Amino acid sequence: MAVVELQNLVKDYAGFRAIHGVDLTIDDGEFCVFVGPSGCGKSTLLRMIAGLESITGGELRIDGTRVNEQRAAERGLAMVFQTYALYPHMTVRENLAFGLENIKTPKDEIKKRVDDAARMLQIEEHLTRRPKQLSGGQRQRVAIGRAVVREPKVFLFDEPLSNLDAELRVVMRGEISQLHRRLGNTMIYVTHDQVEAMTMADKIVVLKAGLIQQVGSPLDLYNRPANQFVAGFIGSPRMNFMQMTVAEIRNDAILLKDDEGRSFEAAVSPEGVAAGDTVTVGVRPEHLEIGTERGRPVTVETIEQLGGESYLYCQDQSGRPITVHLSGQTRIKAGEEAKVFLPAEAVHVFKEDGAALERLRIGEAA
Amino acid sequence: MFQPLNSAAQLGYRTVFNLFEWPMARAQRLVGIRRVAWLFLLPNLLIFGLFTFLPIILNVFYATTGSDAILLSQRPYVGAENFSSLLSCTDYLDPNSCRRDVFWRAVYNTGWFVVLQVGFMVLFSLITALILNRDIPLKGFFRGVFFYPVLLSPVVVALIWKWILQRYGVFNAGLEGMGFASVDWLTDADWAFFWIIFVSIWAHMGFYTLILLAGLQSIPSDVYEAAEMDGASRWRVFAKITMPLLMPTMVVVLVLSLIRAVQAFDEIFVLTGGGPGSATTLILQYIYETGFASRPQLFGLAAAASILMAVVLLVLTLLQLRATRSQAEG
Repeated sequence: MAVVELQNLVKDYAGFRAIHGVDLTIDDGEFCVFVGPSGCGKSTLLRMIAGLESITGGELRIDGTRVNEQRAAERGLAMVFQTYALYPHMTVRENLAFGLENIKTPKDEIKKRVDDAARMLQIEEHLTRRPKQLSGGQRQRVAIGRAVVREPKVFLFDEPLSNLDAELRVVMRGEISQLHRRLGNTMIYVTHDQVEAMTMADKIVVLKAGLIQQVGSPLDLYNRPANQFVAGFIGSPRMNFMQMTVAEIRNDAILLKDDEGRSFEAAVSPEGVAAGDTVTVGVRPEHLEIGTERGRPVTVETIEQLGGESYLYCQDQSGRPITVHLSGQTRIKAGEEAKVFLPAEAVHVFKEDGAALERLRIGEAA
Repeated sequence: MFQPLNSAAQLGYRTVFNLFEWPMARAQRLVGIRRVAWLFLLPNLLIFGLFTFLPIILNVFYATTGSDAILLSQRPYVGAENFSSLLSCTDYLDPNSCRRDVFWRAVYNTGWFVVLQVGFMVLFSLITALILNRDIPLKGFFRGVFFYPVLLSPVVVALIWKWILQRYGVFNAGLEGMGFASVDWLTDADWAFFWIIFVSIWAHMGFYTLILLAGLQSIPSDVYEAAEMDGASRWRVFAKITMPLLMPTMVVVLVLSLIRAVQAFDEIFVLTGGGPGSATTLILQYIYETGFASRPQLFGLAAAASILMAVVLLVLTLLQLRATRSQAEG
């Protein structure tokens, strides 16, 4: 059980700043996910917390105690690595017991804890095997088991599922979430996969170039992305973006005009913009309405019918790609002309610096 | 990465290709495409047969015939007499009780040499590799320094050390300069034996250091990070992670250096000439001296001794093959 606090945490490599002063509090028992594109510093940040990377500046506290100078093992954390990092020459039992032997845990206590963890992770029958004899999923379980037996204050996961195939990833995702519910420990999880982030996290931290972009619950991030980067990163398929001009400011909305002169209403707070400003409008593919009556005319280029849902990849008259996501099936065929409508409640508006305008009528969208 | 050749190089290549085009096509027509492979192998097979395979066969004939005649037709068949002469001792632990006392002294010298040279060399190579594997300043420079002696010819190595160690050599000059008495490094039996071990370790250590370094670097860094998270002490990381994972490489290094130590000859021959007396005479030198340098030249005895040595090497080589195979599988 532990609160992890990051205060203005900085990491410099020779002549290069990887982490630019991160402030973050991860509450006791919280499942916190660091997400972001490759090179955003999420793994570095995790390794700084773990004690595998030194901290250049700022303070890291676990349960109120500064741990910057403590060695990895003294911080009371356990880590699951992307590559599993199992000891290849040891059996599964030896792998699980190694950490406990290091701190001179009594033999019968080690046996009990290893057996308990093995039972929980369903790897009992593999205890005498070597990692090489195990499948990817089993290895992953052993890696998690190695963390579990140490009964750490905080679990750290560094992209633990990225070496597994898609099906197994879904299974292991569920198992890690279940583990969190059962143990109730604080967990910090790094991934570049936004689906993992959305499905597992209590709190998501979106990082880009060593800077926190936004911290929030999965739905917060989905509904109220703080900026264009977060909006584009969270949600799949990606949010549609198009440039527009602010035509008119109203009390509870702004009126936008696209390059073809059509007007749209957006239910956002007008704070920080004035008529004539260029803004970026974003609409999620699932919030677009496609039909024949209202909206901007598009050509449907490709359709992916998955049975339960459909993806329509369209192009508007200026050649801009627009993706539409429909639940269920559609009669529209590739090559057909259609019209795409942007509901005012579903529209996100980003200023020129990328910051989002506050949305006013969330939940009313289709 | 593929780089388009400039036109001059292209022309050069084409000329070379054209040069081989005609004879190749002709050879293929004459013997058939599949048999052309044998044509390519032929020169090597001839050389191998003439200079390796034939001598091995001849060696067996010499080992089983007597007298100092060099032509096989003039040598009477003696059966296993050369072998029994080599192996006849009243007490195998005392070379003086043997009929061929110098042979046995050489066997014992070689045994001690192998044990001490290999033991210390592998130990020092391991320590050096462990240090060079860490983030030390001038890492590349030190790696080069330790490997450099391997590039020297054995004779050069021996001459350098002879220059240092001889009676009026650099080492003694230094000792005298500091007020100490000089020492007969190469003419005192014990010191000479120490120095042949020292010099051959110095000359070959870099090679094994390099292999061990490669072995160390093939251990994934995340395993060490996992051990760090698991709170393993430095000693436990070394004993429980590094050593077990380095073991396959260690076995290869051990067997390889064993084989080479049994074959040791050139550096020692130039450095001490096998002396004082026969204090640093190893088995290969005994074979050489018995067969070629002594009068009469005892070809039969030398051939028999070399067959005995070959048996030992064969066993070691099989061990090495097994070790490398299990490493490849591991």
